[in-house]
Amino acid sequence: MKRYSQPILIILLIFCVAVSFSCTKKGVKKDTGITDENAAAQSKKPGEEGLEEAQAGGPKWNEATAEMAACFKDIYFNYDQFVLSPEGKTALNKMGEWLLKNRSTQVLVEGHCDERGTAEYNLALSERRAHSAKKYLADLGVSADRISTISYGEERPVDPGHAESAWAKNRRCHFLYR
Amino acid sequence: MKKVYCLLLIALFGVALPATGAAKVYIDISSPFATRLPIAIPNFKNTGTRPDSDTISTKMAAVISQDLDMSGFFRVLDASAISQDPAASGLTASTVKWDAWTMIGTEALVTGGFSVSGSNLVVEIRLFDAVQRQLIVGKRYSGKVSDSRLIAHKFSNEVFKILSGEESIFETKIAFVKNMGGSSDIYIMDFDGAHPEIITAYNSITLCPAWSRDGQKIAFTSYKDENPDLYIKDISTGKTERISHKKGINITPSWSPDGKKIALTLSLNNGNSEIYLLDISSRELERLTDDWATDVSPSWSPDGREIAFVSSRSGNPQIYIMEVQSKKVRRITFEGSYNTSPDWSPRGNKIVYAGQQGSTFNIFTISTDGTQFQQLTHNQGRNENPSWSPDGRFIAFSSSRTGKKEIYIMRADGAGQKKITSGGGEKTSPAWSPSLNKQGN
Repeated sequence: MKRYSQPILIILLIFCVAVSFSCTKKGVKKDTGITDENAAAQSKKPGEEGLEEAQAGGPKWNEATAEMAACFKDIYFNYDQFVLSPEGKTALNKMGEWLLKNRSTQVLVEGHCDERGTAEYNLALSERRAHSAKKYLADLGVSADRISTISYGEERPVDPGHAESAWAKNRRCHFLYR
Repeated sequence: MKKVYCLLLIALFGVALPATGAAKVYIDISSPFATRLPIAIPNFKNTGTRPDSDTISTKMAAVISQDLDMSGFFRVLDASAISQDPAASGLTASTVKWDAWTMIGTEALVTGGFSVSGSNLVVEIRLFDAVQRQLIVGKRYSGKVSDSRLIAHKFSNEVFKILSGEESIFETKIAFVKNMGGSSDIYIMDFDGAHPEIITAYNSITLCPAWSRDGQKIAFTSYKDENPDLYIKDISTGKTERISHKKGINITPSWSPDGKKIALTLSLNNGNSEIYLLDISSRELERLTDDWATDVSPSWSPDGREIAFVSSRSGNPQIYIMEVQSKKVRRITFEGSYNTSPDWSPRGNKIVYAGQQGSTFNIFTISTDGTQFQQLTHNQGRNENPSWSPDGRFIAFSSSRTGKKEIYIMRADGAGQKKITSGGGEKTSPAWSPSLNKQGN
C-alpha cells in the first residue's frame, strides 16, 4: 500500500469501481427516451406499405357484464391446436349474434395457452387462436375492425395448476368488450 | 491525464506481479479425454490490519474453486487441512511450504492475500506450478469490498486462459425472465447466479431477452404499452427504445453476427407468425419465411449465413435451417413431435433445443446436418430454453426439477448440471451474454 502515493491510489480505486460496475449500476436507471414510434411506417420500402402499427390506447377493455356473460363465454382448444371445436363454434355463434345486434360494441379476443411447451412458441400459437375466433366472428358478418386481438401465450393462466384439469382451462380465448 | 489513464487501465485488470514461469501447455482442452489438473486453492490470507468482516477469505477461494471445477478441466483439491496451518500458508514461491502441497498431489496452486481498508479492497493472487515450484502468473487488484466476487472471477479467467490458451466464461452474464405471477421482468446476473439485477421494471409482461453481439444492449418483448412490442435497452445508459410495434406479436429477437439486424417474429394482421429481418438503423423489414404454418424463434449461425428456427409446417413444431440469401429451408429434427427453442452454437456445428418427451421436456443437441442427436437432460422435470455460453462449452437452461422453474448451467455434453438461481418467482428463458471481457480494448 505504501508504495503508492495517496492521490493516485484514490483515483485508481474510483476508476476501477466506476468502470467495472458501470454496466450493472446503470442498468437500474429509469428509462428515458422511447423514440420514434412510427419509424417503420416512414420507411419507403414498397413491400412494407400494408403493415399496420399496433394501436395502443383507446378506452379500457371490460369484462362482460352479467347479462352479456352468456354471449361472452371462453372457448377452449386442444393442445398445440388453434382449430375451433364444435363447442367453441356454438359459443361464437351466440357471441356473433349479440355483436350483430349491438353494433357499437367492440370486442378484444385474448388468445391463451397452457404452461406446457415453449413460451415463445406459445405466443405464436395463442395469436393464432385469437385469430381463429376473430375470423369466425368476421365470417358471421361482424365487421373485422370491431374485433381486436392480443396474444398472451402462457403468461396469464386462469388456473395456475400443473395438471390437465388446469391446462384445459388455460388453452382458451377470452373476450372483453368496450 | 493520458498517463494517469493508462496507469488506471492497468490497475483495473490487475497489476501483473513478476513471474518466472515459462510458457507451457497444462491443459489440452481440445482433447475429449483430458485429465483434470489437480489444483489447490486455499482460503485467502488477510494481510491487512482490519478484520475480514465480509468473509473475503473463504468467499474468494470458493468462487475460484467453483469456477475452475465447473470448467471441467480442473480437480479442486481439499486444501482445508493445509490452509489451517498458519506455518504452511505462505503466499509467495519462497514462503509456500511446497512439500505439504505436493504431498496431496497438487500440480497447480493458487494463493491469495488481501487487505481491507474501509470499503476498499486490495488483493494479490498468484498461480504457481506446484511441480516446478514457480510462479506462473500473479495479479494485484484494487477495488471495493463488494467487488470480491468479480475479482475472483477475473483471476479464474487468468488461470483458465494461461493454462488452456482460451478465454473463459467466468466474466460473462446471463439474462433471464423472472415471473412473479401476473408480471414478469428481465434480470441480468453473473454466469454463476450471483448479483441478479432487474433491468426492466414495467409491472407488465416482459420476456424474450436477447443480447446484442457487443454485450451492451438487450432486445426484449414487453406488453408495457399494451401490445407485445420489441424494445432495445442500452444497459450502460439505461436508454430504452421501441423498435418494432406491428399489430400482433413482435417477439423472439436474435441479433445478426454483424450487429446490424435483428431477426424476429411478427404476426401482422392475420395471426400467422413469420420470421423477418429488421434493419436496426433503417427499420426496414425483409420477410424470410412465407407459409401457412407458425414460424418462430430464429437463431443466427455464427457466420451470419443461416438461421435456425421453429416451424409447424410439418404439422407440429420442428427445427429448420434457412439459408438467408437463397431462403432455402431444410428440416433438421425428426425425433419427437414438439421441438422448439433452437440456439446455434458459437462453435458453429451444433444446435441446442428443447424437445417434448411425453409430458416432459428435455434438452438436446444436434449437428446442423441433422446427425449426432444427443440428449443432455433426463428424467428431471421440464427442461427448456437452452442458451449456449459464448465459448460454446456450456449451456444455460430452465428446469422445473425442484418443483419451481430455475436457471441451470451444464457443460455441452450435459455433465455438471448446476442450479444457479434461487429465491422467489419462476425463472425462465436464460440468454447467455457474449464475452464481456474488455481486456485489450
